[in-house]
Amino acid sequence: MASANEPVEGASAGEGPVEGASASEGPVVMMDYFMHLEYHEVVCPIVRRYAASLMAGKILGQYSPKSGLVYVPPRSFCPVSCEWLGEDHLIELEDRGVVTAFTIVTPVQYYGQEETEPFAKASVLLDGPGGMLSLQDILEIPPDEVRIGMRVEAVWLPEHERNTDEIGNRSWGSAAGAIVGWRPTGEPDLPAETFTEKVY
Amino acid sequence: MSAQDIAIVGYAQSPSWERAELTEVQFLFPVIADAIAMANIDRRAIGFTCAGSCDYLSGQTFAFVSNLEAVGAWPPISESHVEMDGAWAMFEAWIALQHGDIDIALAFGSGKSSPGDPAQIYPLQMDPYTLTPLGADPTSLAALQARALLDSGRITEREMAEVAARNRHDAIGNPYAQVSGEVDVGALLATPYVTAPMREHDLPPFSDGACAVIMATAEKAREICENPVWIRGIDHRIEIHQPGMRDLRESPSTATAGRGAGVGDGPVDIAELSVAYTHQEKILKEALGLGDGVKINPSGGPLTANPMMATGLSRIAEAARAIQRGDAKRAVAHATSGQPLQQNLVCVLEGDS
Amino acid sequence: MADLPISTHVIEFPYTRTLGPVLGPFLTGLRDGQIYGIRSNDGRVLTPPTEWDPLTGEPLETSALVPVGPGGVVETWAWVNHPTVKHPLDRPFAFALIKLDGADTALMHAVDAGSMDAMSTGMRVTARFKDERIGVITDLVFIPEGGE
Repeated sequence: MASANEPVEGASAGEGPVEGASASEGPVVMMDYFMHLEYHEVVCPIVRRYAASLMAGKILGQYSPKSGLVYVPPRSFCPVSCEWLGEDHLIELEDRGVVTAFTIVTPVQYYGQEETEPFAKASVLLDGPGGMLSLQDILEIPPDEVRIGMRVEAVWLPEHERNTDEIGNRSWGSAAGAIVGWRPTGEPDLPAETFTEKVY
Repeated sequence: MSAQDIAIVGYAQSPSWERAELTEVQFLFPVIADAIAMANIDRRAIGFTCAGSCDYLSGQTFAFVSNLEAVGAWPPISESHVEMDGAWAMFEAWIALQHGDIDIALAFGSGKSSPGDPAQIYPLQMDPYTLTPLGADPTSLAALQARALLDSGRITEREMAEVAARNRHDAIGNPYAQVSGEVDVGALLATPYVTAPMREHDLPPFSDGACAVIMATAEKAREICENPVWIRGIDHRIEIHQPGMRDLRESPSTATAGRGAGVGDGPVDIAELSVAYTHQEKILKEALGLGDGVKINPSGGPLTANPMMATGLSRIAEAARAIQRGDAKRAVAHATSGQPLQQNLVCVLEGDS
Repeated sequence: MADLPISTHVIEFPYTRTLGPVLGPFLTGLRDGQIYGIRSNDGRVLTPPTEWDPLTGEPLETSALVPVGPGGVVETWAWVNHPTVKHPLDRPFAFALIKLDGADTALMHAVDAGSMDAMSTGMRVTARFKDERIGVITDLVFIPEGGE
């Protein structure tokens, strides 16, 4: 029996008692573990309303009377005024706006990365009542021409192609499956001073 | 130097849902608002906030940051988070109150277990080299402990089923419970093993839910609350992680925490214990030195409502509720973390004379 | 609830962990068909081997590793009727705390016993190493000693 309890130095001496042992290629120094977890979450009622509005070609937001802030997607409460918001706080938002902030991502090829070329993600402040859609794609111009103050309008998928498969509780500002991205309208830029309090 | 007297002045719980339609932040929102309303304070009077939750449960890094939206973090607040049950958030908030520069603190716990599979999530909290790759899940670990207890002769499968039946009966009428009702012990014993020796009734439900507790220093508590529930002691201890290096039939960490919290310093009327697996009631009761006259889990306990990350804090809230209702004068509340009973928190609560 | 929209979210990542001076030789041992425990400063042999004595916190060195097993005694067990995808076997099996010969603490592992009736506290089990091994805890399972 191998359990003589004799001390050993460093890695196994290679005299394993089991036949058919894998060829020793030196000591094992790393261990792989592939972690995989799935989450299946019910889309909450207010986001269902939002998803339905996208299918109908509209962007639904929610207005907090106490704070004056507009949330899109609607979230059922205002975290600033701590006010619960309901159906009667829902408002239709415009699908045109201005880029208030953006970043150009140079994709690192980590596991799961699908992008290979630099791309821009922008925050779009919507006209009219307001509301900010974050992490939006800007279309028709290269990433390095995206600029703060640029007027943009939504490019919608044709109605029959729209889907809300990607819309979940976690989609921060997402309109995926309905709005492909935002294209410059060609109108003169808005000066940054007009929206300094609404950059994100 | 002795600890400052701290009292619970408000608390609230959500129902325990099998599958909530609302997001975690959405169902947490009214729980915090209700606790604040019960404490009869302005939200801005809270000097420190601490949250307990588990990002692995939420399936999102920094998910706990979103939960602060339910607290109202504007103007900016002083807050902290523990990747643990809200009972440990309460411990941290209690420590903050000891410093004397704030007089009100909020602690809460929340979790949504329904989107994920606990049997696949919780192995990730185990030793990554020797246990995670085995998929060592909570039910299997509890079952190893239960078998050891059965082998020792200190419990029978019938006694385990009796705990389940009693808890379900006691949960009738508890608006926060997920499982309740009258069940026949014999009928329970006739059901098949899930992971032997555990049957379905020996296992907790997994619930979505939240709990919030508001504490105040003595002077503030007397000012704002007619019926403060005093925290006479609070302590928590942890044991070795590897299950094979522990005697699973005992809970020395619970015993030490119980002594630290002063359980034995007076009579105990009720004990709200985090009994998520039926056999653990016996282990915990003995570790805390609770006699047969102590009513255990009058709320129904975690076997009837198990909002992971809020289960332990809910025991504290249920014990406080029982005291304020006049059902008890002095109560013990217990929370647990890790598998099985690796880490334990004990809190002793007492009503005003 | 059947008709409510569900959004699916997958988190996955291929972790690669360094092993250090105790777990490295331990997993190397498994690759080579040998289980090791580690002798603490007070003479107890711990399995699985740890880098520190869990009671005193004292560091434990590579040189303290000692062979244990391959046989041992089941101290407690649980029969898993419904294995998850993360479990080491895809048919019902037992998890057990196994005190290997030469060890003073029990190793948690799986026993491929075939049926719950084949399991009992106090029974002896032995390691059955896989033909292909890479140096992970799942390079082996345990089986009742004396054959399957």
